[in-house]
Amino acid sequence: MILKEHVDHVLIDEQELLARIAELAAEVSHDYAGVDNLLLVCVLKGAIMFLSDFSRQLDIPHAIDFMAISSYGASTKSSGVVRILMDLKANILDRHVLIVEDIVDSGRTLDYILRNLGTRGPASLKVCTLLDKKEQRVLPVPVDYVGFEIPDEFVIGYGLDFDELYRNLPFIGVLKPEFYE
Amino acid sequence: MGMIGIHSDIERVLISETEIQSNVSKLADRISADYTDNGQLVVVGILKGSFIFMADLTRRLSVPHQVAFMALSSYGQTTTATGAVRIIMDLRVSIEDRHVLVIEDIVDSGYTLHYLLDVLRTRRPASLKTCVLLSKPERRKVDVPIDYLGFEIPDVWVVGYGLDYAELHRTLPYIGALKPEVYK
Repeated sequence: MILKEHVDHVLIDEQELLARIAELAAEVSHDYAGVDNLLLVCVLKGAIMFLSDFSRQLDIPHAIDFMAISSYGASTKSSGVVRILMDLKANILDRHVLIVEDIVDSGRTLDYILRNLGTRGPASLKVCTLLDKKEQRVLPVPVDYVGFEIPDEFVIGYGLDFDELYRNLPFIGVLKPEFYE
Repeated sequence: MGMIGIHSDIERVLISETEIQSNVSKLADRISADYTDNGQLVVVGILKGSFIFMADLTRRLSVPHQVAFMALSSYGQTTTATGAVRIIMDLRVSIEDRHVLVIEDIVDSGYTLHYLLDVLRTRRPASLKTCVLLSKPERRKVDVPIDYLGFEIPDVWVVGYGLDYAELHRTLPYIGALKPEVYK
């Protein structure tokens, strides 16, 4: 099975991704200069690629923490409420927290995570997403750093999967319809 | 490299970014050759330390695979070979009859990996192998099989490329030896 043959077209190639991630890291390093307790929060698993490349380019001190979540199923989809399978290891009270996301579409899950983390009293709480599918947005979540705004297409690669495949493609591609329909 | 800013706790670079990337590519080539298109490969990363290694390794694999994560925590000093490790987050996939490759950032005593392999073996995977970035053979207390190894290193405190000291330095792109005054 050659996964690249399932790709209709490349939306963002590897060079563009890495160049933009370097810009984001420079921007974040600048904005958080002097902050000594920045915590990057990654929601598994889609953002792992982005997190690993982005965090390596930051030139300010920071720690990393992970959350794993799972949907309760269709009935709670509209509320965005998710089950936390693994919570943060760190206490974020009085810490500067930057959520690192692979993609924001409806914004429902992110909205819930922001509300959840917001109750814990962080010094600040911001969002950095690689991809933003604005056309899909249902809730107006604040997104502070955006890598790329993308059209409403079925994207895979660079951490994003369909049925657990394609995550490891080094670019963002659009899946051929015959593989998801 | 001038050791300033976030690099100021580093005594020296033990393994450069170029050396790491070159070895990760070689490991990915070997793994891709060994698991040719069996369609059942699950790559299991152990958090938090393996996430960078995992990201770089998996994007170079040419065989289809799923990625999965586990988070572990010790119950205190893990000083015996039978000492249990607490599973903070278990796998979400069943590994029965699947080929499993465990990704670890570092093996020193070997106790954690030994225990983890015992646990995973009870779930009847089709095969169970390990891919480890760093091994400290001088520290080994229990034999563990390492099927794919990045580097053997001496018994010094290392940080970077996933490895931390008190949650810092995890995302340095190289493996550095920490200045002794930092941890003493």
